[in-house]
Amino acid sequence: MTLTLQPVQVATGAEEEDMLLFDRDQRLLAVLVQLSPENEVAPGQWYLEVGFGRLSELSHPTFADLSAVEDWVNQRSRVGRSRW
Amino acid sequence: MLPAASRSDHHPLVRKLESIFTLTDDERQAVLDLPMQVAVIEEDQDIVREGNRPSRSFAILNGFTCTYKMTGDGKRQIVAFCIPGDMPDVQSLHLKVLDISVATLTKCSVGFVTHEALWDLCMRHPRITAAFWRETLVEGAAFREWILNVGRREAYHRMAHILCELLVRLRAVALAEDHVCDLPITQVEFADALGISTVHVNRVLQELRADGLIETKGTRLIIPDWERLKQAGDFDETYLHLKQGGAAA
Repeated sequence: MTLTLQPVQVATGAEEEDMLLFDRDQRLLAVLVQLSPENEVAPGQWYLEVGFGRLSELSHPTFADLSAVEDWVNQRSRVGRSRW
Repeated sequence: MLPAASRSDHHPLVRKLESIFTLTDDERQAVLDLPMQVAVIEEDQDIVREGNRPSRSFAILNGFTCTYKMTGDGKRQIVAFCIPGDMPDVQSLHLKVLDISVATLTKCSVGFVTHEALWDLCMRHPRITAAFWRETLVEGAAFREWILNVGRREAYHRMAHILCELLVRLRAVALAEDHVCDLPITQVEFADALGISTVHVNRVLQELRADGLIETKGTRLIIPDWERLKQAGDFDETYLHLKQGGAAA
């Protein structure tokens, strides 16, 4: 799946640049927040703040970088196809 | 290893029952005479699992445990934190198959008592039977409060609420002083209890700290402003049905 990113600021209190994630039809898939280096749980990682559709995920995973996000989204999309 | 202390009123089970009503000497002695097999269990170990058919129940003598259930795909929901004096699977006296699992959160000392010995205690001491019954009703009240908490309160208030509950319960069994207690629960465990992510648990804890509602030093929880934390947690301890007053008493 071709994904695009758009920088955004999310009002979570941290100063880092966050990302909106779109699919190839420019539909919003997820809001990703980069956690600060001082974060006690996953410093510097990307956090799925909110996902839509197939990415709505109760466990809110974190990712080392944006390519890990892409891998995860592609995997979820495949899971989605096989399920339907 | 002997339970908690040599003084009988320090036995966790006696202390727990005494937080409900004052035991007579006979009743206290009967509890102390229970044939209890004490075991020390390391942290993060299951003590009993869903589906088990236990022939004994256990009391927590030392340490923290949680009661939990899992979804089919392995996600854990903690439905209660259990502290010394609690008997998390006493239901198995009546319900033969466990519908919950209980795991240690810290290294724990637990005392196993056969159902036969518990039945005998209950037959001889109706007030203790009533106390066990009452405990299961209070447990039900706490589950209802948790449903409200997890289902309807925002994460910040949810966390404030659970911290209030833990402090009041620990005080009832003399494990908290004023508004300070040892709370060795990890952020992952709070996440599983509150139904939010660990990242979000961390955020709300930082917010609660920044707002001056809690201070933490290692596993030590200090509540500088009890009234404000109670307000943030929308906390009214009535549902815990303690004999004695709560943290503000």
